[in-house]
Amino acid sequence: MREKILTRYFGLENFFKIDEYLKQGGYQAVQKALQMKPDEILEEVKKANLRGRGGAGFPAGVKWGFVPKVDKPKYLCVNADEGEPGTFKDRYIISHNPHLLLEGIIITSYCVGIHSAYIYIRGEYEAVALRLEGAIAEAHEKGFLGKNILKSGFDLDVVVHRGAGAYICGEETALLESLEGKRGNPRLKPPFPASVGLFNCPTVINNVETVSNIPLVILNGADWFVGKGLPKDGGTRIFGVSGMVEKPGIYELPLGTSLKDIIFKHAGGMKKGKKLKAVIPGGMSAPVLKADEVDIKMDFDTLVEAGSMLGSAAVIVIDTGTSMLDVLKTVTKFYAHESCGQCTPCRIGTSWINKIVKRMAEGKGSKKDIDNILRLASNILGKTLCPLGDAAAMPILSIAKKFRKELEARL
Amino acid sequence: MVKIFINEMPVEIEEGTTVLKAAEKAGISIPHLCYHDAFPPEGSCRMCLVEIEGLPKLELACSTRVREGMKVFTKSEKVVEARKGVLEFLLAEHPLDCPICDKAGDCKLQDYYDEYGLFESQFSEHKEKRAKKVKIGKNLIHDQERCILCRRCVRFLREVIKTQELGVFERGIHSSVNIYDLTPVNNNYSGNLAQICPVGAITDLDFRFKTRAWFLEKGESICPLCSRGCSIIIEYHPGHYRFGVPRKVYRIHASKNQEVNGFWICDLGRYGYSYLNENRLDRIIVNREEWRLEPVWDIILKFLAQKLKRLEYRGKTSRIALILNSWLSNEELFLLHKIFKTDLNAEKVFFADPPQEEGDNFLLTPERSPNNRGAREMGFDIKPVHSKALAEETDLIVAFGSFLAEADLKGALGKIETKVLFTSHVSGLNSLFDIVLPTPLIAEKGGSLTNVDGRVQKFSAVLDPPGDSLPEWRMLAELGREAGINVSFYREFTSPEEIFEGIGKEISFFRVEK
Repeated sequence: MREKILTRYFGLENFFKIDEYLKQGGYQAVQKALQMKPDEILEEVKKANLRGRGGAGFPAGVKWGFVPKVDKPKYLCVNADEGEPGTFKDRYIISHNPHLLLEGIIITSYCVGIHSAYIYIRGEYEAVALRLEGAIAEAHEKGFLGKNILKSGFDLDVVVHRGAGAYICGEETALLESLEGKRGNPRLKPPFPASVGLFNCPTVINNVETVSNIPLVILNGADWFVGKGLPKDGGTRIFGVSGMVEKPGIYELPLGTSLKDIIFKHAGGMKKGKKLKAVIPGGMSAPVLKADEVDIKMDFDTLVEAGSMLGSAAVIVIDTGTSMLDVLKTVTKFYAHESCGQCTPCRIGTSWINKIVKRMAEGKGSKKDIDNILRLASNILGKTLCPLGDAAAMPILSIAKKFRKELEARL
Repeated sequence: MVKIFINEMPVEIEEGTTVLKAAEKAGISIPHLCYHDAFPPEGSCRMCLVEIEGLPKLELACSTRVREGMKVFTKSEKVVEARKGVLEFLLAEHPLDCPICDKAGDCKLQDYYDEYGLFESQFSEHKEKRAKKVKIGKNLIHDQERCILCRRCVRFLREVIKTQELGVFERGIHSSVNIYDLTPVNNNYSGNLAQICPVGAITDLDFRFKTRAWFLEKGESICPLCSRGCSIIIEYHPGHYRFGVPRKVYRIHASKNQEVNGFWICDLGRYGYSYLNENRLDRIIVNREEWRLEPVWDIILKFLAQKLKRLEYRGKTSRIALILNSWLSNEELFLLHKIFKTDLNAEKVFFADPPQEEGDNFLLTPERSPNNRGAREMGFDIKPVHSKALAEETDLIVAFGSFLAEADLKGALGKIETKVLFTSHVSGLNSLFDIVLPTPLIAEKGGSLTNVDGRVQKFSAVLDPPGDSLPEWRMLAELGREAGINVSFYREFTSPEEIFEGIGKEISFFRVEK
């Protein structure tokens, strides 16, 4: 039987309220952490091999370790922008278990020496943001936030900032720009946000799910956490399954669970009468897997080996009734629409490919167009200022390569 | 210092230098569009990608800093392919209207296509329609179709001038540079935008469609329109004598000078060049026929020297009046001081300079002439023209420049026996003097100027002086010799450099530390 650690109390009535949360043992991790030394917390998180849940999979402890010990304010930005198509896990975490996130924020801030934390939340998540703000007010009232938290002498304020609807603002440096009140364009790296981030100060940026795992690591220890996943990849992962399955939704499973099991066991298999054709395993920017490739372990390294990526663990299931040209069209339209326009390959490349695909869908394509798409996507891949270029190029390349025959048949 | 290898060539370079600058110093140019020395790297055009051994992706030359032993390849197949890719993207949405684009000939996009591209277009979609010919400032026209979004203009207004009139609107393929709320670019540095635009997106109304960039010749000079002494590039058409086409200056660009003006010049200096083209005096005028003087330099100078000698001999040098101005170079002011103050002890020395106006706390200074500081350091007391003092008991007046007020002099000059004017322009003054001698402007001669901060800057002739005009330093050295008061002293001076050396011997301010 699978064990849920993050989503354990999901569905419990009024669990998002602090009284119910405390009844189930809430805020014990904060109490424990505040009695630890920051360095001990950092060691524990490093040992837990908690990798970033936003998409890149960068170890959280290592990231915190990059923050220089300078005499400047430091900031924590929690990335709740959740713009990757197919992804909806953070929304569930915040609406069902906002206090777990707050606990994570308190511990992270205490560990790194932060006194102001921002939660950058997707603009469309209005109700979720309101719930989060309610939770923050409750935590303030109970003394978990604000001045002198639990008489430890540690101060922390948390601010919820709602985005204005750009995918690019989920990219960490564009998020910072947006948070500073500017146009959400990514910054040139280096310097990395850990040293020069929000308001030019050292900044930690972590995904909601990453931060929400911190209290579990502290409360139960790193070894316990690693035991819930893989040695190099601690903990569980919330898989958001969508598409042509019987039971779409979120499934918290250990890292390394087979994709086949996720689709056919946990998500109830394909919808009646539908046959599996392809899966996008980690949000729309992840290269697509064909039906015969789904017997694969869902963890960062295995998927990279298979030429795809775990990304945000959003599994999009595509059936044989769906045309891959339509999938391609959706993908290219999205990235052409969401490119910030700052750097050349992404600004013009995504739009150009989108125009070709649109023309193909109108039945005016030729074989040369597919070659052209492959060439253009390779000219974007690895040559853009931020990861959005790669995010656009990878699914396009994989669809055009793996489903070339099908695309040609539609010409 | 670190040692790196660029295309396997070892290069010693200071630590912290970017790959782009290191390559530049080694004589290897790496194409770039958004990068400009004045701003921190932007990294958005992606033209400067280079291969660095050991790194999986191509890296930006504009922002990557050198490391000991780094091996950079700027012309490898991977790099050239990437550059072609970027060019292909840029040109896909470009209107390709070079034949009617004012920037053709000094457009970086054209240059790079010539170097890396020359490929057939694979773009068979509809190009985005964008606004053309948008007036974004008093002299600026923006063509959104040609814009490559390097944001140089936006950054210039944000980081240098801080007026922030331009911004990027919309996103993705619809991104465009524009003004906010129809508030045009309105500052004294707007002309720099057309100069830093690497393509034909921002063009200058003052220059637009008047000529083609490749018809022009250029040369470095110093802007004389205020006392800042900004380095400029004068672009001009040399003229065509067979077809009667006169020499003409078409535009002024800022030249890089980190110590003075950085990369910029103000609009006053940029657009105020008509004085170089219009109403130029090109011949000697003798208004007193009874003197029977041939309008030839030698004869006129001899005549003037004799006048001076006679006054000196009769002990009447106090009857000499001199009107100078701060457009004269250090060398010329030095000779003038020598002849008229040291040798002749003339007392009536006035300065006729353009009136002071408001400065702008950036480059433009209140003094609207280039060498006020030089004149002061030379020992002159800068007094404005006092017409009563000028007229009383004066036998000879020698005046320089065109900033004299005609009305003030009209009554005063009548009583003076001999009146000589050195001027570069035809004006109403010319009929008030007995002899009028044509002189070149700063752009047409050599010498040095001392700017408001006391920085001495040399300049040399970019343009040929019109007609018979002769640099003042030359004819002053001649005059010094002819007047014969201190012959051996003036004999040495056959070039501005020699005069400058002479200044250094006498005035410590101008001494060059060797």
